[in-house]
Amino acid sequence: MSNKAARNLFIFGSLFFFLIFLGLTFDTMGKLDGRAPEITEQIDAGKKVWHKYDCIGCHTIFGNGSYFAPDLTKTTENKPKGYLKQFLMDPRSANPKAAMPKLGIRSDEADDLIVFLGWISKVDTNGWPPKPILAAAAGVAGQELTDGQKLYRSLGCSACHVINGIGGTTGPELTRVGARHDREWLVGHFKDPQAYVPNSAMQKVEAPDGDIEKLTDYMLTLK
Amino acid sequence: MSVKYQSQKLAEYFYAFAVVLFLVQVLVGIIAAVQFMWPDFFILNFNIIRSLHINALVVWLLVGFMGATYYVVSEESETEIWNLPLAKLQFWATVVTITAVVLGYIWMGLNPQANSPIMGINPLNEGREYIEAPRWADVLIVISVLLFIFINFMTVLKTKKWTGIQGVLLVGLVFLALMYLPGMFYSKSMVKDQFWWWWVVHLWVEGSWEIIAGALLAFMLMKTIGAKREVVEKWMYIEVGLVMFTGILGTGHHYYWIGTPGYWLWVGGIFSSLEPIPLLFMVWDAFRTTREHRNVSNKVGLFYAVAHAIFNFVGAGLWGVIHTLPQVNKWTHGTQITTAHGHLAFYGAYVLLVMAMIYVTLPSIRGVKEFNSSRAYQSFWWLTISMVLIVMTITGAGMVQVYMERLMGLDYVAVKANYNLWFWIFRAIFGVGFLIGVSIFVIDFFKLGKGPASEVTEVAAAPERA
Repeated sequence: MSNKAARNLFIFGSLFFFLIFLGLTFDTMGKLDGRAPEITEQIDAGKKVWHKYDCIGCHTIFGNGSYFAPDLTKTTENKPKGYLKQFLMDPRSANPKAAMPKLGIRSDEADDLIVFLGWISKVDTNGWPPKPILAAAAGVAGQELTDGQKLYRSLGCSACHVINGIGGTTGPELTRVGARHDREWLVGHFKDPQAYVPNSAMQKVEAPDGDIEKLTDYMLTLK
Repeated sequence: MSVKYQSQKLAEYFYAFAVVLFLVQVLVGIIAAVQFMWPDFFILNFNIIRSLHINALVVWLLVGFMGATYYVVSEESETEIWNLPLAKLQFWATVVTITAVVLGYIWMGLNPQANSPIMGINPLNEGREYIEAPRWADVLIVISVLLFIFINFMTVLKTKKWTGIQGVLLVGLVFLALMYLPGMFYSKSMVKDQFWWWWVVHLWVEGSWEIIAGALLAFMLMKTIGAKREVVEKWMYIEVGLVMFTGILGTGHHYYWIGTPGYWLWVGGIFSSLEPIPLLFMVWDAFRTTREHRNVSNKVGLFYAVAHAIFNFVGAGLWGVIHTLPQVNKWTHGTQITTAHGHLAFYGAYVLLVMAMIYVTLPSIRGVKEFNSSRAYQSFWWLTISMVLIVMTITGAGMVQVYMERLMGLDYVAVKANYNLWFWIFRAIFGVGFLIGVSIFVIDFFKLGKGPASEVTEVAAAPERA
């Protein structure tokens, strides 16, 4: 191959692939709005809060960012909104072990940011992030679950609490919670957390009294 | 032997600024590494430290390319740089802009509210990874780059010697300037935001920057071992061509999970899997050319150039391709595996490239025939061994993270704080090793050719081959 032929291959080949890329980009732009909910004023305001505090300097979103703090793509699906708001405005009041500093995020900014993250969680991401294989498998196979264990799952408690290594670390670990508290404390705390733990970021458990008793039964087995 | 054209000495200004920023980058990198274990370690939070770490990297490499380009274009065009005072103004304007941006980040770190939008624009930090620089700085950077390209273009026009090397170099630089623009507008949709953001990030490091690398590698092979222009230029065209054929559509590997249509899994998976091929070509090219020419005129320059080719392939190629298929990437995306790839790729592809260009061109800029190269080798081994160990620890952390967080379903914070703690400790220690390497390099840069030559010496400048 002569030098001129090699040069032409480089120039025209690159242009060819760039044109294909432009075509795919054009097609993608036409499809993006259909793959996500409509963007409201508040969602846009939340996105601006996201940029203002350089959230991506620690966190990732859609898996892109700084890998220093949790990915926030599905965070609104996993954590109660009240908890998120308290955490955003003063992280260590919601979770004393939090690494995140208090940035001075205002109440209205926190609301906007949570709405923005809610929008993010509803974008069609081709199935990312995947459901953990082993955790998902443990819920299908294995021994029969008690009513309390089923409630623990259906109420989403593991989003914030750890039992035997599995679960979120934002709330206290529950692996031995039955050794720390009695039935009366646990039932009362489920119904009104702040009456037992001042400034607790936990949400009230909205469930019938019977369910709260069953959940408490489960907690008391954890010793 | 000294430079043929006095204005080539301009390159040293850019190199000096680049080298200082390299030191800053690694210093803040160590702070960031400690913050992985101890988030409150420093007065500035991690996000500011990381912005400084990655922005210093991008800017020092870019400034290094600028210095190298002024040198190469003057050499290839066989004439002085067109309008040297304007080129010096371009240099100082760049320094002032970058310094202002850095001060802005620090200010924001001390007072986050200082970044409140003014007429809808964040004045200190755009809050977008890699392109954190605020809009006013974007505009100044674009002006600086366009001025830089214009000056070099005018230099070429003085003698109209359109060599392949400077042609490809300028194509790469124009492509680089164009690909900065997609990052300069606001999208309400985070999906579109990230879509265009990848045009900047991917089409820089896996597009225009690799074109620049191809041209500079060809130049260095000619200068250090007197390889024939005809041959190196032909292989250069083939290499940069293959970079573009695979790299442009390879952008698709960033469009798997951000809300873009499913066909990107096919496009990105296929084309990005081919991306290591041109990088392997460059390694083969470097070895073949070296073997054919026994007359090495700048041993340490050649050493760095070949090391660049090898680690470009290992870091950007191999460490990238292991997690580029969607079936794998679904589990590894957004984990420390990406960080490991980023570190080795930038080190191999671009850090060693700019260092190689400095060792190839600096002796003649300083006007020395012989120089002591022992520090250059020392710094190479400190840097390379430390970086390989850093990448090993981050890769290990990433594997643990993928298994425990993604497969077992453990919490991100639990994995990071407990199971990966030792990886962070070792990474910080190896980071200090890297800092030692950088320090030796910085000392060598400022001392090269200025002290008395000791026993370990070598001939600096290339013999002329017509």
